[in-house]
Amino acid sequence: MSLRSQLLKGILDGCVLAVIEKELVYGYELSRKLQQVGLSDVSEGTIYPVLLRLQKNGLIRGVMKPSESGPNRKYYSLTTAGEEALKVISEEWKQVSVPINALLWKGEDLHESE
Amino acid sequence: MKANELIEQNNQKRELLTEENEMYYSKLLMYIRTKLSLSEQQSEEVLMEMLDHLLEGQDEGKSAREIFGDDPKGYADEIIEQLPTEEKRDMVKFLGQLSFNLMGWFLVIRGFTLLLFSIFVDVSDTVYILPTIIILGLIALSVSFGVKVILGLIHQSLFNEKSSEKKDMLKAGLYGAGSFAIILAANYFIREFGPSFEFPWTASLGSGGMLLLISWLMKRKVL
Repeated sequence: MSLRSQLLKGILDGCVLAVIEKELVYGYELSRKLQQVGLSDVSEGTIYPVLLRLQKNGLIRGVMKPSESGPNRKYYSLTTAGEEALKVISEEWKQVSVPINALLWKGEDLHESE
Repeated sequence: MKANELIEQNNQKRELLTEENEMYYSKLLMYIRTKLSLSEQQSEEVLMEMLDHLLEGQDEGKSAREIFGDDPKGYADEIIEQLPTEEKRDMVKFLGQLSFNLMGWFLVIRGFTLLLFSIFVDVSDTVYILPTIIILGLIALSVSFGVKVILGLIHQSLFNEKSSEKKDMLKAGLYGAGSFAIILAANYFIREFGPSFEFPWTASLGSGGMLLLISWLMKRKVL
């Protein structure tokens, strides 16, 4: 596995939660949104084990309902526990990413550095 | 949507897949379905999501391999690891439905056999309670183990290049023949003893039909 996909794997839960927080999505939409923001390394199928795990841990819930195009789809939304978890993950990501950016980018102008 | 409706829909939607995608997806499906300990409802829901995803991807020219990766077994194992196990209550329901079904067929066949034979020869319709319980117990045991053995064989061989179909067929066949022999032997050697009652073909047919109806209703989740 490449370094990039290993890094991604660790933070994928957070990314999935972040997309779901913005709007109600079903699996295919979710994978398209992840690719749209530039996470093209995430192979589409990987979201299903993630979705199952998040459901099992009570962070998201899925409800079957008709989609715009007609057929039933399972739409996901965050639970209160999921909102909490997303806050924690974002906070921790900030704490890790800011110093790492500073270190690896060696003072190049980054919008995060203040 | 209930599991049996999802299965029905899955069967219809699978026909829309290209041959290559169908091969890939069906292996995933068999691999997950033959893992009996998993929640049926949850398994069918995620299988449906994956199928919908594959169909949408297929419209955009993507293959199952591109969507789910080059390692279908590894991928399916990841899914299985995250799926919840079946709740005890549902397991009991399933086993109950299965045993009603088996008993039902047993009684219906017995009824017809008695009716047919009584035309030509004088057959006794006396049932000895204890020996009958022993034989039925043996049948139930061998059927439930048989289901486990055969599904286990399928589960193992799906992604195993080395496993030979012939060998698996032989194993399943030997199992079937073995358990059949045991049941026949038990039938032959166990003496008629203990309390007994008359159980004519009409009653056998009637009660068997009732059990089959109950089992059918349970399967449709009416009961």
